[in-house]
This record gives sequence, C-alpha cells and structure tokens, in this order.
Amino acid sequence: MLGKRPAIDTLYIGGGTPTCLDPKQWGTLCGLLEEGLSFSRGAEVSVEANPDSLQDGHLAVWKSWRILRVSLGIQSFSPSALRWLGRLHDARKALDALESCRQKGFWVSGDLLFGIPGQDLAIWHKDLQTLSHYAGHVSTYQLTAEPGTPLADEIVPTQSEGYPFYRFAQWYLHQKGFVQYEVASFARGGQWCRHNLSYWRQGNVLALGPSAWGYVDGLRYRNNCDLDGYLSQKGATASRWSERLSDDDRAREAAILALRTRWGIRWRSFRRHFGEKRTRSIHEILAGLPRDLFLRRQGCTAFSPKGFRVANAIWELLV
Amino acid sequence: MKREHIRNFCIIAHVDHGKSTLADRLLELTGTVDSRTMRAQYLDTLELERERGITIKSVPVRMNYKSPDGTDYILNLIDTPGHVDFSYEVSRSLAACEGALLVVDAAQGVEAQTVANAYMAAEQGLELVPVINKIDLPSAQPEEARRELEEIIGVDAHDAILASAKEGRGVPEILERIVRDIPTPKGHPEAPLQALIFDSIYDNYRGVICYVRIVNGRLKAGQSIRFMATGRECLAEEVGVFKPGMTTVQELEAGEVGYLAASIKTIHEAHVGDTVIEGGKTDSVALPGYKKVKPVVFCGFYPVVNEDYPQLRDALEKLQLNDSAIQFEPETSSALGFGFRCGFLGLLHMDIARERLTREFDVDLVATAPNVVYQIVRPSGEVFEAHRPSDFPDVGQIEEIREPYIRLTVFVPSEFVGKVMQLCQDKRGIFQAMDYITPERLRLSYVLPLAEFIVDFHDKLKSTTRGYASLDYEQVGFRAAELVKVDVLVNQEPIDAFSFICHKDAAFHMGQAVVRKLKELIPRQLFEVPIQAAIGKKVVVRQNVKPLRKDVLAKCYGGDITRKRKLLEKQKEGKKKMKQIGRVSIPQEAFLAYLNIGKDEED
Repeated sequence: MLGKRPAIDTLYIGGGTPTCLDPKQWGTLCGLLEEGLSFSRGAEVSVEANPDSLQDGHLAVWKSWRILRVSLGIQSFSPSALRWLGRLHDARKALDALESCRQKGFWVSGDLLFGIPGQDLAIWHKDLQTLSHYAGHVSTYQLTAEPGTPLADEIVPTQSEGYPFYRFAQWYLHQKGFVQYEVASFARGGQWCRHNLSYWRQGNVLALGPSAWGYVDGLRYRNNCDLDGYLSQKGATASRWSERLSDDDRAREAAILALRTRWGIRWRSFRRHFGEKRTRSIHEILAGLPRDLFLRRQGCTAFSPKGFRVANAIWELLV
Repeated sequence: MKREHIRNFCIIAHVDHGKSTLADRLLELTGTVDSRTMRAQYLDTLELERERGITIKSVPVRMNYKSPDGTDYILNLIDTPGHVDFSYEVSRSLAACEGALLVVDAAQGVEAQTVANAYMAAEQGLELVPVINKIDLPSAQPEEARRELEEIIGVDAHDAILASAKEGRGVPEILERIVRDIPTPKGHPEAPLQALIFDSIYDNYRGVICYVRIVNGRLKAGQSIRFMATGRECLAEEVGVFKPGMTTVQELEAGEVGYLAASIKTIHEAHVGDTVIEGGKTDSVALPGYKKVKPVVFCGFYPVVNEDYPQLRDALEKLQLNDSAIQFEPETSSALGFGFRCGFLGLLHMDIARERLTREFDVDLVATAPNVVYQIVRPSGEVFEAHRPSDFPDVGQIEEIREPYIRLTVFVPSEFVGKVMQLCQDKRGIFQAMDYITPERLRLSYVLPLAEFIVDFHDKLKSTTRGYASLDYEQVGFRAAELVKVDVLVNQEPIDAFSFICHKDAAFHMGQAVVRKLKELIPRQLFEVPIQAAIGKKVVVRQNVKPLRKDVLAKCYGGDITRKRKLLEKQKEGKKKMKQIGRVSIPQEAFLAYLNIGKDEED
C-alpha cells in the first residue's frame, strides 16, 4: 500500500506518550514521516502530549514541521482528583503546557474526566472553564472501571450517575461557543478533529506502529502490540488480528458510527452504499423511538443533545 | 430370603425432628453404607434437598440386618418427605410398608405434622413404633414427649424407644423393634403377580423407572408384564433393589421392594398407583391405588426466549416423570407468548419445581404470580373452574366467586397464642377451636382461605413464634368470597401475567405494593413508562418509570471500534434475559414481584 503512496489527509501521532521521545528524536521521526508519506494540501496532523514530559523543544520541532494540533491528556485540574488518579503532573504543569501550546499558535485539544470520587459540579465547572479558556477542542470521558477490579467498587457504579456532569458539559460548552460534533467531543471555530471523523465515517486508516488500529476498504486490523514482534514483521504482515465485516454488519456499524457525530446518518448516501433493505431496517428502528432524541434535517438523522446522552441504549438496538 | 425375614417400613416425623439423621445411623449400623462413603443426609440425593436440608423425594433403601439372635433380615426403609406440601409422597410410601417409626423430638414434642402423618399411617393399617429422639439435648423432656404421644396421637408409648440419632443411642434397639413389632409382609410368592407402583423416576438411558412393592407373586427380569390401568404390555428389562443405589437382581418376590425398568418413555404409560401384573393376563385384580392428588396452586411458566418453548415442554415432561403431582397444560399469554399453566400442591412444591427446571434442565424461565383455583358461578347458575386471572369473565358475567378454604391446625407455645391468632385473623381466618395440650402448649384451629395461606403464612408463623409453632392443614372445600381481579398495565397495555385476584378490601393496598415494586424493577427505558393498577376500567394506582437520562460510554480509542461493538453486543445479550413486552423490557424478577411483596412490607 505504501508503494502507491496515497495522499494522507490526516495523521495522528498518539496512543501512548509520544513526548517520551526527546526533541532530537522527534526531529528524526518528522524527517522519516515526511520522506515516507505524501501529504495532501491542508492535511491535518495532530500529536498527543503528556503535560509532564512536554518540553519547549518538542513544540519548536513540531512547529517547524506540519503539526497543527497538540492534544493534551489533562484529565483534571483538581489536585485531589489528580492525586486520586495517580497522575504525575500537577495542575500547574498542565496550565503551563496549555499556555505554551497556545503561544506557539497550535490548535489545542484537551480531555477531561468526570465521575472521579469527590468530584462535584463546582470542580467540574472549574475544569471545563479552565480548559475551554485555552483549548478549541474538548473531549469529556467518564471514568470507568472494569467490573471485578478493586476500582469498580470505589467509583460510581452506573453510567446514569454521570448524568449531571455530562449534561452540564453539553450546556456549558455550548455557552462558550463549542459545538458537540461527536458524542464525547466539543469543538469551537471548526476545530473538529478530522482524523477522528474518518473513523466514524469508515474512512481508510493506515496503522503504523505497534498496537495501532487500521481500516482499509472493509478490512479492520490491528498491529502486533509488542514492539519486538512488530519490528520482526514487515509491512502488511505486521497485523496481528483482523476482521472483515459482512455487508449487514458493516451497514449496522456505519449507522452506529455515523450517529456518533452531529451530522448523523445521511440517508441518500447510506442507501447508495448499503441498499434499500438495510437502510429501511435501520430507519424503522430509529423511527420507533421518541422524537426528541433526534434532530432530523436535510435528509439526515442525528442525535439531539438528549439523544447523545442515551446513545448507548440506542446503539444497542442497532448492533 | 423368606418373607418372614423381610420388613418394610418408613419413618414419620415432623421437619427437623431428626428423620434424615436417624436414617443415616440405620444405614451405618447395618453396614449398608460404609463409613468412607457415608455423608450426612445420605438419602437426600437431590442437590436441592441437601442445600435446603429437607427431603422432597421418597427414596427407598434396602438394608441387610443380622439380629443378635443370628437371624438375617432384609429391612426396606422408604424415606419420606416431611413438608406438608409433599404429604402425598408420604401417603404413597405408606402403602408400600407394614410399619412406621414414629419419631418425635424429645424437646419439641408432638407437632402438627406428626399427628397428620401418624393418622394417615394408622388409616392404612401400619404398625407404629414410637421413637423419642434427641434425648441428648439439655432441653429434652422425654416423659413429656411420651405423654404427648399417648394423649395427642393415641399410641401406646410406654415402651417408646429413647434415642439420640446424633449420638447413635437407641439405634440397635430400634432395629430390633422393627424386626419384632412390624408385621411380616402378607401375600404369597406363588400367587399371580401383583405389584404396586408407589413412585417413579426418570432416567435418561432406561426411561421411566418404577419403584414397586411386590404384593403377590414374583417379578422376573425378562418376563412380560402388563400395566393394568393403561393395558400396556412390555418386557421387564431390568429389576433390582436399592442397596442404596440401584442393583439388579434376577427376581423380586412377594413382600419385597425394588424397581422395574421396561423402556417406558412417558409417565402416562405407567402411572404411580397402578398395578403391574403378568403379561397376557386380564383377570387380575388391581390393588387399591392412590387418590389422584389435585393441585391447588397454579402459576404460569414461560420460557424467557420464545424459541425455547419446546425445550421447556420437554423439561416439564421429564420433571413430571419424577414428580407426578405436577400438572401442566399449554397456555398463551398476550404478554409472555407460549407457556404452560402448571399446577402444584403448594408454594414450596412450586418453588422447588421452578428451581429444578432451571438447575437440572437448564431452562431459563419466567414464573408468574401463583394463584389458587377458583370456582366461578355464572348468572345462569353454571359453575366453572378458573386456573388463572384471565379465566375470569367480565364482572357482569359473575354471580359468585368461590375460593378454596383449608382447616388449619397450629401447635403453639401459649406465650405466642395472641400473635398467632392475630396472624390468622389478618389472613381472613375464622376461629374454630383452641385447646390446651399441656399447660404450656395449645392447639389452635382455624378455617382460612388457601389463597391467604400460600403467600407467606408459613414464614410469618415461623417468624412470629420464633420457630416454635408448627402447622398442618387439610382442604375443606370452596366458599363464596368477595374477590376482585386487579389488572396491571405497563405503558398503557394490560399485562395478563401481572393480573391477580384478591379480596376487595386488599385490592388498593396490593395494587399499590405491586406497582411500587414494578417501578423499582423495571429499568428506565428511552421513554416514560406508566405503571397502573386497575379494577375493571378504573385505575386505582399509577406511577411512572422516568425515562433513561444518561447511558453513554463514549470512550473509544482511535480505531478501536471492534471492542466498542463487542461491548454493545454484550450489553444487548444481557438485555435478552429480559422479557420484551411491547416496547418495554421487563426483567424476570418482576414476574415474581408479588411473591415478595408481603415480605418487603415487614422490613
């Protein structure tokens, strides 16, 4: 596939702590990527950074290359919450990182966690207020624990418990000019992450590096999770796992993924891709649900803010 | 072995008076079970029996006993259940015996069920051997127990055996007394074959296995036999005895207890109570059978997933092979689809059947609230039986509703008598009699609607008397009552499986309790779900299940869509355990909610 050198629209460097590499190593990496890939005009390149290991040197290298957005794993600004999460950085470091990124002119993205023990609406408000001051892109996640782990007993047991936080984020970020463009993501001024959107639109994604996920024309695969294993394999054989969905499954998945975004399901193109029968069965399921869960406009069906809040229950009907 | 050296007996005792422990000691002392394989409650082989510490199923066992005078005997013990729901099992086992050990707890004395079972044994002409058990207890009052045996039951107890099954005291004496006092089986080995089927179980490989008592003649492996009631003829493929565990023998002869397997596929071909005779014979006389037991408690069993209907029918058929008192017929519920209306002898019986279906036959089922059988009189004077609330016609079509009543006997220490009388009154009981058995203990007698009894009477009696009261009951026919049918509507739709019958004064209270309970149990859906209770068209209670507010697990690391989908699939799988009714998913517990309403009120 690399042989054909398709033009890259978006590139996301993350899924770990890329700031582990020092600025000098980053220089090498940028060179390799520039050499190995060809980028389309206006390509969106994002990088994930940890406030703890981010250095000014990183920002300088990134600025000199194609990096548009820096995504920071903030989680919280509350000292007690960070302590509970066992995060290395303190709130000060997070603020410094945000400030430096903004000064250098990057688009800044941050994520916040809710449902941390001891967190209340006041703390959550402060978190959202602080992050939305710096960032044009905010993701909110609920802290979850695998059942059976010690954490599971400690944190809030059901998803409905997170309701006030999620509801507040929807309300508050809207006030601040953010648009909820995806179930967990809010963006201001059109700063939505196009890379993320390509997942939700079943776009082709090339996986580079261990444990990365890829999707090419209906084939979903995952690279070997172990670095040595990954290195010992070459090219396409680096995938450790793959699945090809049946047309029915692909249609259902496409509907679920499309509903993650504010653009929802565009019925005409959906019908063109998946045929009348599959389209109708999905349409019927959605039509049987309360109307206020959806926004219907211009041939599209998308979640309303209320719909986003119960997305899981609706997807469950589609899966 | 000569008939003179065979003894067939059972043990009659109230629950917890040490019947299973005594059986264990007899097995040990006769060397029937060696000490290595011995375990407590040896004869209770059902997992449920051991778990709950009760005997559900009669189990025969054959013991070889050498008397101190050197004579060898065969002792057939038929272990019987103690709970009142299973008294039909007791009555059947009695017919296979000539005598019974009447076991009384030295500390508790004679209890209600001891009396009922002893009367049954006496009626069948059995010789009773009184045993006063648990004399090792500090609170034991053997003389008191002896007096009660004589004064309440009316047996001669001057030579009642004083025993402690736990410590093994008195057990050798019991064995000697079985041999001395219990009569030799009558009947003649050279007479034509007559064998009574006193129980049956189902075995996956051998089909129905009949437990038989040979009354006359011989039953040989390989011979042709005939079941009198059905006229079916077949070969006796295997005959054997319980040693314990089935052991084949060449033949069984008059006086013996054993089993018979003949590739019988359904219980209808060989029912309990039937007489087995020689094949080809038609002039034999049938032995007195049993009164067919009539179920008094009904409920619906439905598969959770509609496709499992054949599997449920199969399981019910197999269960019936082991428990002929269960009745079932197909029924359809608009809410639950295809299922079965099942009849039971009591609530414990129903509960056990439900658990056995789930455990032994691996069927996921929903059980609807139990009800008793009703008689409905139409304005035309026509009377018909209603087995479920949906059998009730419109109010205009009902002249009178009658419900079954029982005569309840309670033995209770005098300090609790007030509480017990209060309980009986709350349950619409009508006082009959009260008499002192001893200065500290009395017998209360009430006539009471069975419907009030089945729900939680037993539990409430136990808790208000700290376990010191005991009860027994018998059915005394139907009486007119002011009953109403309460319908329950979920999301505006009446759910037939939730309808119930109750006294009109209790309708509002019960309706409220049911609606409140359902509100707790029905998870939030994507829309508001009203739950209502109505009598006829009139809604008497309403509550709403608020719509789901938040259910979103948004985290999805770049491209990890597969894992997300698997999570959704798993969630969906979990919901499948719920019953989908209209647009609403209702968990199985909801269908049993009524059972627990009474209990919850106390908490």
